[in-house]
Amino acid sequence: MLRMISTRVATSVVTLFLAAFFVFFAVQALPGDVAEQLLGQNATDEAVATLREQLGLDTNVWVRFVEWLGNAVTGDFGTSLVSGASVSSTLWTAFSHSLLIAVPAIVVGITVSLLLGILAGARRGTTTDSSVSVLSLIAMSIPEFVVATLLVLVLAIAIPVFPSVVLEGPDATFGDLLPAIVLPCITLVVAMGAYIIRAMRSSTIDGLATEYATTATLKGVPRRRVLWRHVAPTAVLPVLPVVSINVAWLLGGVVVVESVFNYPGLGKLMIDSVSTRDLPVLQAIAVLSAVVYVTVNLLADLLALAADPRQRTLHQPRRRRSSATPVPQEDIR
Amino acid sequence: MTPSIDRRTLLGGALGGIAAFGLAACGAPALSVPERAATGTARRGATLRIARPAASAAETLDPASSLSAYEYLGALYNRLVRLDREGETVPDLATDWSSNADATVWDFRLRSGVRFHDGQRLTARDVRYTFEHILDPDTASPQAGALSIVAGIDAVDETSVRFRLTTPNAEFPSLLTAYQCYVIPEDTADTIGRTGIGTGPFILESYTPAGAGAVRANEDYFDGRATLDRIEFYSIQDTSARVNALLSRQVDLLSQTNLDNPTARVVANSPGTTVARVANAQWYTIPMLATSEEFADPRMRQAMKLAYDPQAILSTALQGTGTAGWDNPVPPELAAHLDVQREYDPEKARSILKQIGREGFSTRIYTSAYEPNFTAIAVAFADQVKQAGIDLRITNVAADSYYTQVWMSEPLMVSYWFTGRPVDQLLNQIFRTGSSYNESAWSNPQFDQLLDAARADTNDATRRQKYQDAQQLVIDDGADLTPVFGDRLVGLSEDVVNYDEYGFEFDYLALGLKED
Amino acid sequence: MITRLRGLGQLTPGTRIGLAFVGFTVLVALLAPWLAPYDPVATDAENALAGASWSHWLGTDQYGRDILSRTIEGGRFALLVSLLATTTAVVVGTLIGSVAAYYGRWVDGAITRVLDAVLAVPSVLALLLIVSVFGNSVPVLVIAIAVVYVPAVARVVRGAARPVLASGYVTAAKARGERSLPIIGREVLPNILDTVLVEFAMRASWVVLLVSTLSFLGFGVNPPTPDWGLMIQENRTALTVAPAGTIAPIVALSLLVVGLNLAADGLGKHFGVDRARRGVL
Repeated sequence: MLRMISTRVATSVVTLFLAAFFVFFAVQALPGDVAEQLLGQNATDEAVATLREQLGLDTNVWVRFVEWLGNAVTGDFGTSLVSGASVSSTLWTAFSHSLLIAVPAIVVGITVSLLLGILAGARRGTTTDSSVSVLSLIAMSIPEFVVATLLVLVLAIAIPVFPSVVLEGPDATFGDLLPAIVLPCITLVVAMGAYIIRAMRSSTIDGLATEYATTATLKGVPRRRVLWRHVAPTAVLPVLPVVSINVAWLLGGVVVVESVFNYPGLGKLMIDSVSTRDLPVLQAIAVLSAVVYVTVNLLADLLALAADPRQRTLHQPRRRRSSATPVPQEDIR
Repeated sequence: MTPSIDRRTLLGGALGGIAAFGLAACGAPALSVPERAATGTARRGATLRIARPAASAAETLDPASSLSAYEYLGALYNRLVRLDREGETVPDLATDWSSNADATVWDFRLRSGVRFHDGQRLTARDVRYTFEHILDPDTASPQAGALSIVAGIDAVDETSVRFRLTTPNAEFPSLLTAYQCYVIPEDTADTIGRTGIGTGPFILESYTPAGAGAVRANEDYFDGRATLDRIEFYSIQDTSARVNALLSRQVDLLSQTNLDNPTARVVANSPGTTVARVANAQWYTIPMLATSEEFADPRMRQAMKLAYDPQAILSTALQGTGTAGWDNPVPPELAAHLDVQREYDPEKARSILKQIGREGFSTRIYTSAYEPNFTAIAVAFADQVKQAGIDLRITNVAADSYYTQVWMSEPLMVSYWFTGRPVDQLLNQIFRTGSSYNESAWSNPQFDQLLDAARADTNDATRRQKYQDAQQLVIDDGADLTPVFGDRLVGLSEDVVNYDEYGFEFDYLALGLKED
Repeated sequence: MITRLRGLGQLTPGTRIGLAFVGFTVLVALLAPWLAPYDPVATDAENALAGASWSHWLGTDQYGRDILSRTIEGGRFALLVSLLATTTAVVVGTLIGSVAAYYGRWVDGAITRVLDAVLAVPSVLALLLIVSVFGNSVPVLVIAIAVVYVPAVARVVRGAARPVLASGYVTAAKARGERSLPIIGREVLPNILDTVLVEFAMRASWVVLLVSTLSFLGFGVNPPTPDWGLMIQENRTALTVAPAGTIAPIVALSLLVVGLNLAADGLGKHFGVDRARRGVL
């Protein structure tokens, strides 16, 4: 058990290292002289030379990688090329703002979707089931920028209940942001909910069909009790990867939603930095998102391990890999 | 920042929204914008909220900088002189000015008793320092080029400043109306970017680069106290988000935001918001890079001009809100404007192309979401020149790299300037050989000589004639197309009164919110 | 497997509806030049933002362009990019996944680690950066999107291929001394074709959404080309005065994606590949 955990943690670290490696060298491989691009057309040769030096573009690329990685491990990502501010402080502010919309969206989204999924699965074939299924299919098919645009139109402009944008920018306080998180949260719940609902429904149907559940029902255990006490807890396990991917996506910054609402989070920072080619910031965002992705997946695996005693004994690492365990996949949004 | 809602606005808003949806069936009502914004009595003690696009994450309150936070400047500072609507130079901190006979030495007398926000008295030394700061190469001020004719500045006494020029310039005072020329206190170059200490009608309360900030009324302002108590500034980069902030009544005015026509219709027809127009505020240009293989030949440029009808661009791209430019860059408001309409003849353009072996000429025209009308103008222009068999492929580029990667390096693009430059600065800065703002890289020695002659001419009438001859040269030979001057359509709350803006002038004193 | 493929005739109503939606969208896109009543890029200043009428069934947009024509033509770009990108991603992903599964051991380990690392980097960041650096031409978009989806496809295919490799045929083929590529081609691929097909339909639905998102963010197709994502972006502020300009492309886009999702669900059910269970996003 302990060995499994440590192997799993070690692989995560290797994955992270590789991710950092790719990020760094992908950025190096971008064509054109970064310094010239940043300074634009009217830059003097001196300014370009100074910036090149500042970026360390003249030293060996491997040396730079080691230095950068060493600093990154201690949380130092250098200074932004555009604002001159410390990248880590910019990054943390943005990340904390993103957490403010991600955490409520995760809590509400996961709870509601799991319940709806179980409900639909338990009432398979009924009107409840088909309406839940159809609604989640539609939610999956409408891009989130459409949901966000419609929400702004109805709940911020036609009936001004919530603010349509965040005015304060990166300096916004918790109090400033609080009313502004509602619409982004709703958008995110709609965007992520559909996938969890579908996975949970499917898993519940499988759970109810197991011998174990049928036996319990035959023994006279009330159906409701079978569902909530016996089937649902086990049925959640295969859904965990689906959940973890969505959580990682939410924490890693949601570009579209944040840009529609002018929300000063990680996604907005990302799109702003892409436009200005602020490479240190981009590298830092990529690494932070990779850390979040790997950590959340690791936690999901460990959670599954802790929750399901069978996995500890039955599933040897080799078998686990070859089994049809749900494979986490990413999505790009 | 929850907008406070009472039941009435809630209902009104809901009804307005439904009414707006109802309009859909019969199509959108045509845009009708009053010539002048609402005037009236403003209430005391009001706070106005302005949403603006930030210059950059590195923006500053230093007026001389290329990254200055423009909206704050007029509230915090004053210049020696400003421009009136006709482009004539009028007093601000300077009460009067005069030159020697050949216009190489200019004396300005300062208003007395003016104090900076920190209580210091304004003196000639502050003015000298301000211009030395602008001319300092380390400042890299955009106005340094135009002022490079200044050989030296003397603080003659407390209220007299003398500018010594290297060459005669009868239009010199107009060069000091630029928004980089706001006067700052002596020896503050290092701190001015955050303190914002000026002589202006408002005092800085708080400021974050690319973030929120606020100014409060200066009780001791020399020209009387401002109507408003406070102005809050918020930066919102995305134009739709900025418009949404206005529509959801989170802000009262959108600064430096030219609404495209459909958005203007939405704003004009939404409850509580309206649109004001700043006539001919956006000078749209299509620079044809004269150093490029495509447009080096003046005949090619002539064909491009002949091939399109500016009037059609005006009606298609701007739905008529503006004035056709006919390739003359000097806006019609300016007294020096030359009113001629060049020839429009697509068939002639076609035959010129045939002559120079460029039949069916095809190239890219670059555009971007940088300004909402760029793409509309590119689309309309490409549609027009088709008549002469010219095929332009529209290429959209990310807004943030548009002016660093495309401008002055691609042969054909859509660009714009704010009108508000005095005629001498306009022609010298954007059309003179080698000027850093000469976006078409056009060079014409005859034109440069005309400008020099104009500057040396102290007779107002003959000088104006020279500027008009220069305009004729731009129209005939120039590489910069001026299809249209567009009205800036400004979105604002119906509560805003006495909003008045033209060129780079913005009236912060009278601006207010309506009485309830 | 092959019999299951033949059984495609007996599909559930949901799947039929899905395939019909997709087929309809593709057909409209292919026939667009003949179907569209107007030139989708022709401007008409006199008729800007007109309401629905007999001459313009869905009205016109801010430049007076016919919204119906733009909606009809608006799927061409998204479909072309999506088809190319999905195909590339699925083909390359399948190859990498089968190779990893076939060789196992350290080859598999290394490939898996690399795929994981690529997955960990936020793909939207990679995409935006690639497009902003290399421009938004079709090849760049196709390659960028493919790069983003290859790791995910590879992992799924690897998972599906491993049980097949443990089967008797493969052991027999290896014993006959056959080389690796023929074994992958002849024994493995036919047996995971169901997974790959479902994967294709599923990926396609996300790629369509992704392409429209890119257009919406201004990183996709260039104006004045009609494109659903771009149309939504261009017309959304005018939603209250000219709703058709926004709603028509939303409906068209959703029709395609719902269709792809239904088709993927149906194929998955048909082949016994439980998509919802496995199908994280």
